[in-house]
Amino acid sequence: MKIVVAIKQVPDRDAQVRIAANGKWIDEADLQWAMNEPDAYALEEALLLKEKNSGEVIVVSAGPERVGSTIREALAKGADRAIHILCDDLNGQDALGVARLLAAAVKPENPDLVLSGLQSEDVGLGQTGVIVAELLGLPHATMILHVEKTDSGLKVKRELEEGWFQTIELPTPAVLTMQSGGNKLRYATLMGIKRAKTKELRTLSAAELGVEVAPTVVLAQIAAPKKQRSTQMMPGTAKEAAIALVEKLKTEAHVL
Amino acid sequence: MNILLVLEESGGKIKGVSWEALAAAQRLGPRESITAVVIGAQTETLAAQAAARPVGKVIRVEHPLLAQYTADGFAYALETLLQNQNGTKYVVFPHTYQVRDYAPALACRMSQVLIGDVVGIEEGPRFVRQLMQGRLTGSYRPSGDGPCFVSVQAGAFRPDETAAGSNSSAGRAPASITIFTPTIDAAQIRTRPGDPFRASEQTADLGSAQRIVSVGRGIKEAQNLSLVQELATALGAELAASRPICDNGWLPMERQVGSSGQTVAPKLYLAVGISGAIQHLVGMKGSQCIVAINKDPDAPIFEVADYGIVGDLFEVVPALTEAVKAAKQ
Amino acid sequence: MTAFLPTLAEPQHFFVWERLLFVALAVLSLAGFWRRFGPILGKILQSKKDADFHLFPLGRRVRDFVWEVLLQAKVIRERPLAGVAHALVFWAFCAFALVTLNHCASIFGLGFLDPAGRIGRFYFDFAALFAAACAVGIFGLFVRRFVARPKWLGEVSWESGLIALLIFVLMVTYLAAFFVPATGDAAKALWWAHTLTLLAFLPLIPHTKHLHLVLSPFTVFLSRGGFAEIPPLADDEDFGLVAGKDLTQLVSLQAYSCVECGRCMEHCPANNTGKLLNPKEIVLGLRGYLNEFGPHSEEPLLGKYNSQEAAFECTTCGACEFQCPVGIEHVPIIVGLRRGAVNTGAWENDYGAKLFLALERGSNALGISPAERDKFVEKNALPLFDGTQEYCLWLGCMGAYDPRGREIVLALVRVLRHLEVSFGVLRKERCTGDPARRLGNDLVFQQLAESNLDSLAQSKTKKIISICPHCVRTIQEDWKAYGTPPEIEHHSEFLARFASQLPLVQNQEKIVFHDPCYLGRYRGVYEEPRRVAALSGELVEAPRSHERSFCCGAGGGLVFLGEEKGERVSHVRAAELAATGAGVVGTACPFCNTMFQDAFAEKGEGAPELMDIAQLAARGLPE
Repeated sequence: MKIVVAIKQVPDRDAQVRIAANGKWIDEADLQWAMNEPDAYALEEALLLKEKNSGEVIVVSAGPERVGSTIREALAKGADRAIHILCDDLNGQDALGVARLLAAAVKPENPDLVLSGLQSEDVGLGQTGVIVAELLGLPHATMILHVEKTDSGLKVKRELEEGWFQTIELPTPAVLTMQSGGNKLRYATLMGIKRAKTKELRTLSAAELGVEVAPTVVLAQIAAPKKQRSTQMMPGTAKEAAIALVEKLKTEAHVL
Repeated sequence: MNILLVLEESGGKIKGVSWEALAAAQRLGPRESITAVVIGAQTETLAAQAAARPVGKVIRVEHPLLAQYTADGFAYALETLLQNQNGTKYVVFPHTYQVRDYAPALACRMSQVLIGDVVGIEEGPRFVRQLMQGRLTGSYRPSGDGPCFVSVQAGAFRPDETAAGSNSSAGRAPASITIFTPTIDAAQIRTRPGDPFRASEQTADLGSAQRIVSVGRGIKEAQNLSLVQELATALGAELAASRPICDNGWLPMERQVGSSGQTVAPKLYLAVGISGAIQHLVGMKGSQCIVAINKDPDAPIFEVADYGIVGDLFEVVPALTEAVKAAKQ
Repeated sequence: MTAFLPTLAEPQHFFVWERLLFVALAVLSLAGFWRRFGPILGKILQSKKDADFHLFPLGRRVRDFVWEVLLQAKVIRERPLAGVAHALVFWAFCAFALVTLNHCASIFGLGFLDPAGRIGRFYFDFAALFAAACAVGIFGLFVRRFVARPKWLGEVSWESGLIALLIFVLMVTYLAAFFVPATGDAAKALWWAHTLTLLAFLPLIPHTKHLHLVLSPFTVFLSRGGFAEIPPLADDEDFGLVAGKDLTQLVSLQAYSCVECGRCMEHCPANNTGKLLNPKEIVLGLRGYLNEFGPHSEEPLLGKYNSQEAAFECTTCGACEFQCPVGIEHVPIIVGLRRGAVNTGAWENDYGAKLFLALERGSNALGISPAERDKFVEKNALPLFDGTQEYCLWLGCMGAYDPRGREIVLALVRVLRHLEVSFGVLRKERCTGDPARRLGNDLVFQQLAESNLDSLAQSKTKKIISICPHCVRTIQEDWKAYGTPPEIEHHSEFLARFASQLPLVQNQEKIVFHDPCYLGRYRGVYEEPRRVAALSGELVEAPRSHERSFCCGAGGGLVFLGEEKGERVSHVRAAELAATGAGVVGTACPFCNTMFQDAFAEKGEGAPELMDIAQLAARGLPE
């Protein structure tokens, strides 16, 4: 089974993000970078499928030079080879632009399955995987927790709202976007890192892929949200506090 | 100028989030410019529900192959509808799992990109969404021609206050309804969805629970658990506990949240009578919204809580159960 | 000088056939010895060379050899009665060296000690004293092993009985020779009895645990020296103790030196609470492995003879290594086995993976956002270290994120301010990597050590105080593999220096101090925390204290690994501490503190109060 996994390098979840001077993106200096967590689950699912069905796992990632460390991490965890699409201004692209880069790199590989995380921890659009499917003309499914190979293609478990699930069958080749938590992530090992040094890492440029496009949706500006996280204590008697809490949960936190 | 509003149904009824999307659409244009769309195999009742709302007109996109949701089916159906309709400036959706599944593909076919999970609309229009897991917001502007695809986050827009029967209460006739039948070939639908199912009842699947009510030593005795169970039921939440409760056998070990139990990150985590020792915190600190109820104002749990009530849980919990039930009405 | 014994009867005349017989038997005996010993020696020598072995400086080695081997100090100190008995047997053997040589030479008429001469007489009488002591000693040990049967000596074995018998016979035949005439059959008979016993004993040595007679002096002399010292990985292909080919000469030597005394087992917290882990079996497991598969094998070490489960139940408390009288270093062996499993990804454990992922991505072992540490620092107005203060106060993961750890830090800060000692906390800290190090994850550990050393160098830190013995150990010793760490001391060492400047608390409360493993056995610090605790009450000792302190169960990364099987180590120790009747349990490690908190919380009312020595020191300070 030939599986391509699209991964993204994002700022570490706990990083203190500052807005850049031009107000258009975050200041990337001094940031710690890590593999986007849903992508890590996608990679893990791919590795599990490879272990079960034999085959090859190829990781693809677009971004500047620093993305190399995350790619090597994927190789250390067990991916067989990697493609780095060198792109210095990934944030200037919209989801369609990024998907075009990925699709162009993936297409010649003719994979049986393309996996990516459901959404990225920085921008969180959750669309790139679906658009890649569309560009490659492949069927897709999203919010997948578990993938199984069948004689006719794939059987996948999809998450629905309110604690419901659904099984979907689809043919290969296909594209799936993976939800976090469907499997258990493996840790990078010393042996993995040492072996990764000998694995193929091919670098392509956007120009080589023949993809140049002006974004149709532009991120005009970023700002700090008006509310900061701090504990709001509900005052009054038990009854008053309870009513106030329910109101907050409904209108402010949107969890009811 | 046309605004297409795509409604979503569940169990034969239009979902509440669709009306929130209507509220968003109302920011973009006047009532007459909004066309509500219902999709399915039998959409008569759905269309009637939509027609009662303040929209310009309603289109029923109907085809037997749309009986069950598939990305291919819905994307194709809407694509042909859009090609059929001229001058559509905006296509507005609620940001549901279903929309996340097909709307990006649909947008791509029209060489557009969906601006998803929008929490606000500003002058321009500029569409505001959250970045970095809520730590920042970004405002997006569409450029280029072609319809602008937007999906709105649940709870971001208050549905129109003059909700049900608003056309009649405004003295208007219900909106006009037309039927649009796309030509879909069975071969175009490449996925075969099964019926929805729930996780099995026996195992406590805390990991996928959206809401969790967790109980700690403050509960004092096993028989008091029923108090908290009522709250959990009212909230549609799973019951969980800190270690001592499970150690005492008052709840099974699989309901334990903490360093030697499960790690959870639900939308809502309600910690009742839990002090917030580190062994427990590491198991739930990733929750989106944390509420703490404890009689000790210095309890460490308040450090991580978004909302807190300092009080006797034996008073607060029943009051909360009542308040939740009242709100559900 | 008048002798106190009659003259030793040495047969005067031997027949040629006797000489031939002796030579034949001696050759057989030596061959028998070599047949087993040769391959063992071969296996040890063919093992991989220890990458970090340095013979020099010899001083430490000679000191350890004299103390542990010649003076039998460890043997006696930890089990006095049995230890003395064994020491007598050992000294007897030493004393007998010349006797035996003379004995064998005498059949050829080459005896060099004359029983009638001054030197000979003196020497033989001297040896007789030891022989008597040895006979008594060996008899006592026999009774202990076969009648009393303490459980850590394991199953009763015929070979131990046989050896005991042979030694007894050797002594008796020697002593009896004082009481028979030199001429005559009795002397000859005794001579042959002694000789046959000797020649029977020799080949038995390599077949039994008595191999330690030959090996253990070398084992002690050649040991690594530090305590629980984890060796560096040799090269790119070294992932720890994966298979036979990874066993080094030192490890193989140690595996064959085990005397099966069971002292390691007796003091092991895991073994004492019903876990699979038994440090004696770990070592003997390696021996069994070497016997079957040898030092070149690719067969996994964690397989037939040792289990992964057992290897991961170790808290690295070091009690085993501390007790071992023959110089076996258990902790690097167990960590080596863990390395082999973790560095190759063979260890599949949900909690472990979660821990490693948290350390890989983030700053601390608990997976908590570093913003929480910033909030703590800000809220309590802790000064930031800017290079001008004298000390850098290292918070560590527990001090920064754990509610109780934070209380300890704040108590220490109060004391520091009272003493007007300048200090600051770093803007950012990453976990020292202690759990990763003890669990054998060299990848994560290297990343953390290097990243921390880098930021410490940049911050111009010269001296560090830490509330956590794990941080202290890791920074001072384990980081050395990747750079030069700044000076660091534990807050008990710091506070003890200033004890005279801290106010006494007029309180007759009893305090029992629990020695943390990483402060006591690992660092040799026992008195300093007591000096500080004594400011605040009356000290009592737990039954197992100082070097015998019983672990709290958190070490070795185990506190991050979830549910424990069987009885909880922390509960056993907590009960022991509570049973002293003390109203306060003094701790000096935030992990011990957190483990006992859980245990005492379950106990409910009547449980002693738990206080770190920083809190005890701060007790007397004005508000």
